[in-house]
Amino acid sequence: MIFRQLWYLIKNAGNNLWTFRGRNLISVLIIGFSFLVIGIFLALSNNLTYLGERLSNNLAISFFLEKNLKDEELEFIKSQILASELVEEVTYVSSEDARNRFAANFPELKDILDNLNSNPFPPSYEVRLTDKILSLSAIVYFMENIKSLKGVIDFQFNQEWVEKMDSLSRIVRAIGFFFGGILILASFFIISNVVRLNVLARKNEIEILRLVGATNTYIRIPFLVEGFVLGLLGSLISLIILFIMIKVFPIFVGSSLGAAKDFFSLRPLTIEQSIWLIVGGVVIGILGSITSISRFLRI
Amino acid sequence: MIELYHIWKQYQKPHWALSDVSLEINTGDFCFITGPSGSGKTTLLRLIFREIFPNEGQILVDGINTLKIPDHRIYNLRRLMGIVFQDFRLLFHQSVFQNVAIPLHILGLSPKEIRRRVFNALRQVNLHHKMWELPQRLSYGEQQRVAIARAIVNNPKFLLADEPTGNLDPELAFEIMNIFKEINKQGATVIIGSHDRELIRYFGDKIFFLQKGKIIGKEEKT
Repeated sequence: MIFRQLWYLIKNAGNNLWTFRGRNLISVLIIGFSFLVIGIFLALSNNLTYLGERLSNNLAISFFLEKNLKDEELEFIKSQILASELVEEVTYVSSEDARNRFAANFPELKDILDNLNSNPFPPSYEVRLTDKILSLSAIVYFMENIKSLKGVIDFQFNQEWVEKMDSLSRIVRAIGFFFGGILILASFFIISNVVRLNVLARKNEIEILRLVGATNTYIRIPFLVEGFVLGLLGSLISLIILFIMIKVFPIFVGSSLGAAKDFFSLRPLTIEQSIWLIVGGVVIGILGSITSISRFLRI
Repeated sequence: MIELYHIWKQYQKPHWALSDVSLEINTGDFCFITGPSGSGKTTLLRLIFREIFPNEGQILVDGINTLKIPDHRIYNLRRLMGIVFQDFRLLFHQSVFQNVAIPLHILGLSPKEIRRRVFNALRQVNLHHKMWELPQRLSYGEQQRVAIARAIVNNPKFLLADEPTGNLDPELAFEIMNIFKEINKQGATVIIGSHDRELIRYFGDKIFFLQKGKIIGKEEKT
């Protein structure tokens, strides 16, 4: 009996969605638009995260060493560097390698090098950091730690890049929380008001059902199904439009942005983000229905 | 059995829609509540199926104080009743069949049983040939008959009707009253709010006279 009632109510919800298709189409478009804005932000944020990762790939630290260190001492320093989880790769560069690299990079200064009696370049360990987004304080702590080891003279590191990257990731997160929070809240109110308009338009129907002996659950179910479908369709539409935008954006807008193109590109949402967007649409649709219908159930 | 004790109801100060109304309607009664427009007939019926609350007084249906039933349990009371509303309260985007079937879907009956009962109810009000029409395409009188069919379709224990023949020609009005009488013979208590004197004289077993919200008389056929 319960399944029969449930099936009837779901069919009823389908009929209502079709009967009031004009009104429901507007609801779907509003929900779709709200989630599209969130989706665009997510796609931009994905791009900034990607840029941050690309930057961190280029980060390297050079630890300069005393000349004539014994093999054990070199091994010890290397092991200490590798012990840090920030480190992806360590390469030993001997004095001779450093001199050759300099000569290759700056051939016009080769004569000066030749005139020197000794090799001025100290040996070094070149350290490449991991691809993960790293915090500046962790990197500084690591460098100071290694510098304090016996045999390490100094280090060289493009701190400016790390600072920029660090602040970029902070900005990304701050924008994320701020706009994401506002948009999700705004979407919830828009959607719950749209559903409320739907419920108001069918106030008469709810009253009739109450007066002929329907339970609150019986009255709620079609509205919940409708909220679910509207939320689902809205979020799916937003994903489809976003997908088209991501494909079309570079063709029509990308080139006009010039150097800023990298920062304002849209990167596709991950499967996880897409699922969350859909779940968000469904949850907001259902919540909107629940909050809107409650006050009509007291007849 | 329906019992009302010292009911006071006010919509707007200073007028009382009902003042100190007490009455008893026994199981199986065929009862009329009559009086001029604005005398409180509709208010009295709305109080019995608890669409509204009184300011004071008690209402018992089969010994249960309806005013103490929580909102989420009120369906238990409503399922005992078939109600014909003065304004019909039909769903205009659903067919006549769907409108009449609502109380049966709520009870979770099988589609076959629903079809059978809806057809019977519509045949009783002589509207079975318009089963798939939308109510807005029907005349006022036909809409009223749809409302009656919906009220009788689940064989209610109490049938409450507010001016059920107000828009019907005398011949059809008598037919509808005969249907109510038939339902009454099957054991249902019927309470009708009406000011149609001819019908009341002909069908009424128990009559309450209301004026300006007060019971001014009671008549009972022996």
